[in-house]
Amino acid sequence: MAVEDLDLQVPHGDIFGLLGHNGAGKSTAIGMMLGQVWPTRGEIKICGYDVTRVRQKALQKVGAIFESPVFYDFLSGWKNLEILSHYSGPTTKSRISEVVEWVGLTGREHSKVRTYSHGMRARLALAQALLPKPELLILDEPSDGLDPEGIHEMRQTILRLHRELGLTILLSSHLLNEVEQLCTRIAVMNQGKKVFEGKIAEAKQPKNWVRLQVGNFVDAVNLLRGSRMIDEDRDGKFITLADRVTTDQIVKCLVGQGMPLFEIAHVEQTLEDFYLSLMKGGR
Amino acid sequence: MFYLQLRNELWKLFGKKRTYIGFAMFLIAQNVITLVFRFSHASRGMIRQLENNGYSADQFISGLTIATIMLFPIAYVLLPLYVSLVGGDLVAKEAEDGTLRMILARPISRFRLLMIKWLAGSIFSVLLVFALGVFGLLSASLLFKWGGLFVMIPGDLFSIFEAKAGLNHYIFAHLALVTKAITIMGLAFMFSCFNVKPAAATILSLSFIFVNFILMQIPFFKEIQQWFLTYHLNLWQNMFAQPIPWWRVGQSMSILVGFNLTFLIVGCTFFQVRDIKS
Repeated sequence: MAVEDLDLQVPHGDIFGLLGHNGAGKSTAIGMMLGQVWPTRGEIKICGYDVTRVRQKALQKVGAIFESPVFYDFLSGWKNLEILSHYSGPTTKSRISEVVEWVGLTGREHSKVRTYSHGMRARLALAQALLPKPELLILDEPSDGLDPEGIHEMRQTILRLHRELGLTILLSSHLLNEVEQLCTRIAVMNQGKKVFEGKIAEAKQPKNWVRLQVGNFVDAVNLLRGSRMIDEDRDGKFITLADRVTTDQIVKCLVGQGMPLFEIAHVEQTLEDFYLSLMKGGR
Repeated sequence: MFYLQLRNELWKLFGKKRTYIGFAMFLIAQNVITLVFRFSHASRGMIRQLENNGYSADQFISGLTIATIMLFPIAYVLLPLYVSLVGGDLVAKEAEDGTLRMILARPISRFRLLMIKWLAGSIFSVLLVFALGVFGLLSASLLFKWGGLFVMIPGDLFSIFEAKAGLNHYIFAHLALVTKAITIMGLAFMFSCFNVKPAAATILSLSFIFVNFILMQIPFFKEIQQWFLTYHLNLWQNMFAQPIPWWRVGQSMSILVGFNLTFLIVGCTFFQVRDIKS
């Protein structure tokens, strides 16, 4: 099963990150949100409307961009926008011009899409998503295939969309630093299941990890465990302190037993550490 | 809104070079056939047949006759090929390219989208048959003078018409040929709605037509040939009969309407329940 028991809520006004490895079920989940993939059971609501029952109403205020955006290459960017926007409803030329200007394609909108660079295609994809004046923007791997400059530009654009247009954004990605920089909340998927949902801050520091550099880590851990001063250890250099234990108590204990101590410091867990620990736990 | 969406679908369809392959091939084939008839002895058999029946060959070896002769092989082989090519592309190509996913992120129902595409395919079929008729008449008229129509219907006798009546029959035959083009396009369109590649949809459609045609030629099936789709697809040939068997034409026409509805319903049902993924 591609997605199983997924319970997800994207709060209004958030940039919500959907994280997961390739094949984790992110695109399937997005497909279900857009009424492209049929769920076997459950309910999906967008802006209060059930997607499986009243798809047209539910998607009225939704824009979407997919990885490696594709267009009708033999037509101009403008014609592509006209064609795609008319599937949502009547769109005026002034609205198309406005969006073209917003994404920075002015001057190239009447060129054939086959002449566009990857970055220009990404901007055109954004333009088509913005045409129906969406409240929710769904971005499925929007940085896929872009060069570092393009990725930076895409990130700035996402922030601008959130700031200037007040859009709610659902960002699916496997680029952890991208999600870390943009999102306020995240959900992590692994093998079709949600394994975490919460604020980025919660993900980055779920436990009070302390880096410990000593002469012999195993002996030190055994000693500290015997003294009930630590709960866990990992990777031969990290420990978590037991309740109400402080680092200076650890130092005193180790030095008192004559163990060489080189470094002891609190560490902030990166999103990458957190993500990898979730993946290890899930597999 | 439906008009705008249909117009856009036609923009997409006629913006692609491959859409014009059929038109170009008809022009080439018709000009080659005309040249062969003009500068070889290809028309000798016809002349003999006309003269043996007491007609003046000079009056009936005309642009209209040559255009009609060309119509048979093209309507049997080339027309199914090009309408299948376009019909098979309509949905499957968009699914393969990924543009279908972009369209279906919009608030348009799958049924409406298919109706627009089917209609665009039908308009293409009408234009292709129109081009077939006009190109044939023009290229044949360049090298042959205007005159009566002599036409041999496969498996039947021949018909002779004066120029004006012949032109009317020629026009009627093309109008009836539209039903053949739309039906084959609809068949390819149905396969295109399945989760298959565009080429597979085209090949499946052509295979269905050719297998039907081959089976129909086997003596064992001769008695039940009216059960074959190709039997009814060839209703356009009846337009060259004298008098036109309207009852049989109407019967075939209504069966083709049934076939078209079936293709459309099956295609829509499959498309409605399938998942659209990248």
